[in-house]
Amino acid sequence: MNMTTPIEKRDFKIVGKSVRRDDVLEKVTGEAQYTGDVKLTGTLHGKIKRAAIAHARIKSIDVSRALAYPGVKAVLTHENVPRVLHYGSPHPRSASCTKDQYILDDKVRFWGEGVAAVAAISEEIADEALDLIEVEYEPLPAVIEPEDAAQPGAPLIHDVGPGGNLVLDPVRVNRGDVEAGFALADFVLEGTFSGGRPHPAYMEPNVCIADWDGSNKLTFWTSTQSSFMVRGILAEVLGLPLTKVRVLVDHMGGGFGAKQDCFQHEFLCALLAKETRRPVKMEFTRHETFVAGRSRHPCKIWLKQGFKNDGTLVARDMKLVYDSGAYGSHGPGVTIVGTTAATSLYRCENVRLEGRCVYTNTPINGAFRGYGVVQSYYALDIQMDEAAERLGMDPAELKLKNVVRAGDIAPSGHPILGHGLEICIQHGVEKIGWKALRERDRTPDPKHPHIRKGWGIGCEMHGSSAYPGIKEQGNATVKVNEDGTVTLLTGAAGLGTGAHTALAQIVAEELGVRFEDVGTVHGDTDVVPWDIGAFASHTTYLVGTAAKMAAGKVRAAVLERAAMKLQVSPGEIDLSEGKVFVVAETDRCMTVAEAMGPSRGIPAANIVANGTYEPTKSYSFAAHFTEVDVDTETGIVEVKRVVPVHDIGRVIHPIAAQGQIEGGIQQGIGHTLTEDYVIDKKTGRSLNAGLVDYKMPLSMDMPDIETVILEAAPDPGGPWGAKGVGEDPIIAIGPSIANAIYDAIGVRFHHYPITPEDILKALREKDA
Amino acid sequence: MRRFEYHRAETLEEASRLLTDLGDDSFLFAGGTDLLVEIRERLRRVRNVIDVKQIPGLSDITYDETRGLTFGALVTVGRLERLPLVRQRYPNLRAAFASLGSIQVRNRATVVGNICRASPSADTIPPLIADGAFVHIYSRTNMRVIPLAEFFTGPGKSVLAKGEIVTGITVPPAGDNTGKAYIKHGRRKAMELSTVGVAVSLTMEDGVCNDIRIALGAVGATVLRAPEAEAMLRGTTLDAVTVKSAADKAMEECTPISNVRASADYRRDMVGVLTGRAIKQALEAFA
Repeated sequence: MNMTTPIEKRDFKIVGKSVRRDDVLEKVTGEAQYTGDVKLTGTLHGKIKRAAIAHARIKSIDVSRALAYPGVKAVLTHENVPRVLHYGSPHPRSASCTKDQYILDDKVRFWGEGVAAVAAISEEIADEALDLIEVEYEPLPAVIEPEDAAQPGAPLIHDVGPGGNLVLDPVRVNRGDVEAGFALADFVLEGTFSGGRPHPAYMEPNVCIADWDGSNKLTFWTSTQSSFMVRGILAEVLGLPLTKVRVLVDHMGGGFGAKQDCFQHEFLCALLAKETRRPVKMEFTRHETFVAGRSRHPCKIWLKQGFKNDGTLVARDMKLVYDSGAYGSHGPGVTIVGTTAATSLYRCENVRLEGRCVYTNTPINGAFRGYGVVQSYYALDIQMDEAAERLGMDPAELKLKNVVRAGDIAPSGHPILGHGLEICIQHGVEKIGWKALRERDRTPDPKHPHIRKGWGIGCEMHGSSAYPGIKEQGNATVKVNEDGTVTLLTGAAGLGTGAHTALAQIVAEELGVRFEDVGTVHGDTDVVPWDIGAFASHTTYLVGTAAKMAAGKVRAAVLERAAMKLQVSPGEIDLSEGKVFVVAETDRCMTVAEAMGPSRGIPAANIVANGTYEPTKSYSFAAHFTEVDVDTETGIVEVKRVVPVHDIGRVIHPIAAQGQIEGGIQQGIGHTLTEDYVIDKKTGRSLNAGLVDYKMPLSMDMPDIETVILEAAPDPGGPWGAKGVGEDPIIAIGPSIANAIYDAIGVRFHHYPITPEDILKALREKDA
Repeated sequence: MRRFEYHRAETLEEASRLLTDLGDDSFLFAGGTDLLVEIRERLRRVRNVIDVKQIPGLSDITYDETRGLTFGALVTVGRLERLPLVRQRYPNLRAAFASLGSIQVRNRATVVGNICRASPSADTIPPLIADGAFVHIYSRTNMRVIPLAEFFTGPGKSVLAKGEIVTGITVPPAGDNTGKAYIKHGRRKAMELSTVGVAVSLTMEDGVCNDIRIALGAVGATVLRAPEAEAMLRGTTLDAVTVKSAADKAMEECTPISNVRASADYRRDMVGVLTGRAIKQALEAFA
């Protein structure tokens, strides 16, 4: 990895350095406490009975045999849980979704949906008791494909919402005059694109533990990215004030966006614990993370664009249909973000977009890294390569010509401040010698005559924060202790990204203490300030700024206190690396501990400050340059090398940022080539709900990745110009692979995953 | 995980008796890498697990130039994979062993367990069949030794009668003029179940192939031989044209199904491609 010279000149002590992460020791020694490690005396085990039918009304449920089974303590069905209609994804301060879920309903909307829950003294007994629950169904016609669900007269999955199986009213964006734009075009490209159903498959399956105390207060440990959202919706549905629900989460084994919902099992766990007056633990099997977790929305896209012969884009007409699965979850957000994203990336004055999101009788799709944009930019970026081909132009040149620039209106509706896509493309073109690659000798290696090599570029931009869909707020509290150490209280979740380390770096840098002197308290809704949740690539940008603000305030208070003790005015002193000193006379100094501590009858100081930040949005950018080998006999595509060039503004922790990029590439390679959660088109049954047949690439499958992080386009909205990086890498890698495959074998693919069978079939059609 | 009864057998006789007495839903437990997962995932109904790991004499590996390589039922895939003899003389077995699961799985899983599971996609079976391996079967009344190729009767099914136990495998000696290969085909490079697996073992004399066995995995109810393709190749120099015709013949001889891993057509195509590649790889021994 290399870095360009930072634009903002400042002598950073901690920011920009790969300090040792605060969680690394406990993780490598296995001592880190994950939710599943929480042990409470007398804990019962909860299990969920899942429907083996895609759409049905429950005629009757007989739980008598299960209740009588030795060791079973409680059984819940739709007949004995509160019937409260609620959001799957209750983003606070926004109202983009329809309430469409009950904890348990008398209707089944997808194969695998929970219809009853059991608590028993062991996991085995709970599991065995599930077989004793007898459910009689009245089958309803199921709609598995979005096209079928959207047909007039299709069976309705919900009786709430806009109707016609729509999750929300169609999202329409119009800029300029599309018809006039097409009239100017020298040629028009039109194509349909589609994306499969990748699943995040985080290492730690969903797990929660509920415990009610004698004051009727619920303590709830759960692996969630948004503990305050879980607190809010549990309180609402259970009819409790927020003082009676405490949500705890320490370490997490990933989430990738999907752990943002409040899940059915979380309600059931809390209710089983209430019913039995004992702690109850519920832990998903890997199978359940597929059927009852959240996957990426499958998407069908129709895209028509008009170009001038000089490569200018003059019109873009696009229709997108996202498959929400059986409930709304993040369908509205994904549709809005994925659709509006297509106003940008490549400049076009005349744009007409329509995004729809449709209910189907399939497992629920939700938030997942790249949130709707993976789908829409796959289409945009591939069609850009097709336009280059048509023009006889280098795709890098055509992309450079049309990329979004500073001052352009972003998808969020405000002008882009930090713009970096142009420099990402230019840097990558230079680094890999793109022009020479374009003109290389394409004769296959005689030793491997069936292998064809190809190179492709994929471009993306992605926002940090969910503005304007959600008006966000980041909060942080910073306390200085009397020994000079500092405590940061944050609600930001630690999914495994190193977010808490980055936040502590920001506090240490701003305050002027050593990184090791900052401790972080997180994941307890009774203690830390309110947090919106860890999503939208925003933790460093949003909470980082709040932490910087709080640190700035306590810094001022520490300086004031030290000035009093040093008998100078606060303007005469500075604070760095844990020492306060008189600027003109650096020998006159004291440690922060000496400044804070008691002396000569003065009690120790109590310095605490809050930072609250309400941002708009910044955009990060990337261009991925990818080399593939295509085996023309087996259809296997091997990604050999990726050069991802990212602009993410100020880098707080280079190795963590690089890790995000490499991980996103690994996930994106999977989505593009091997990963697809397959639902049977007739029955709605899951065909590969497990890691045996859901094929994620492993370490052996990974290419060489030479990450380049540029700090060329800082955004003033983030700490020292920092922007997000979490989601970006998964967006650019897909089209770069598809474009590289075209370069290798001359066949265009408009879908993912691109399987070996697809490759062979296309090669045969081409040869025929 | 569902509950089951655990039994530990000290002798083959005891294990065999337990298998007979405890009835259906009783299974032998050695490596457990398939059995325990199947219990956990509720893929197999298991009431009794009979641990055979304490039975003496089942962990031996022997080799001599007349009988060949013999290993017992408790010998792990990992142990054989690391054996210099296997590396040098049985590169086909080595390729199959090294492709099974992960290092952790291979250090527990036994080759005999992989065979008794009788999966058509098991990696160890095609090269062992191509090598003409034999299975040693114990019962309380007699011992029998049968060709591995005759062991399987369907997916998950074998000729084992109630109370019979496979105690080991013998692979004939690897002669100087033999060439062997196993090619596994899947979507990724590790932790993978075969979409198709092709094994070839052949002997050459004066540039002419005087014997060849082709075994095809994951393209039928059991691992298949391709006798007509083999017949086309015997007595030839294994020139490219003949190999291509034989590979096409192998495609006709297999009987794949379509499932979530691949379509039947794709599997058939891969039998053609991999048969050609495996023959080429086997011939590299003579290069």
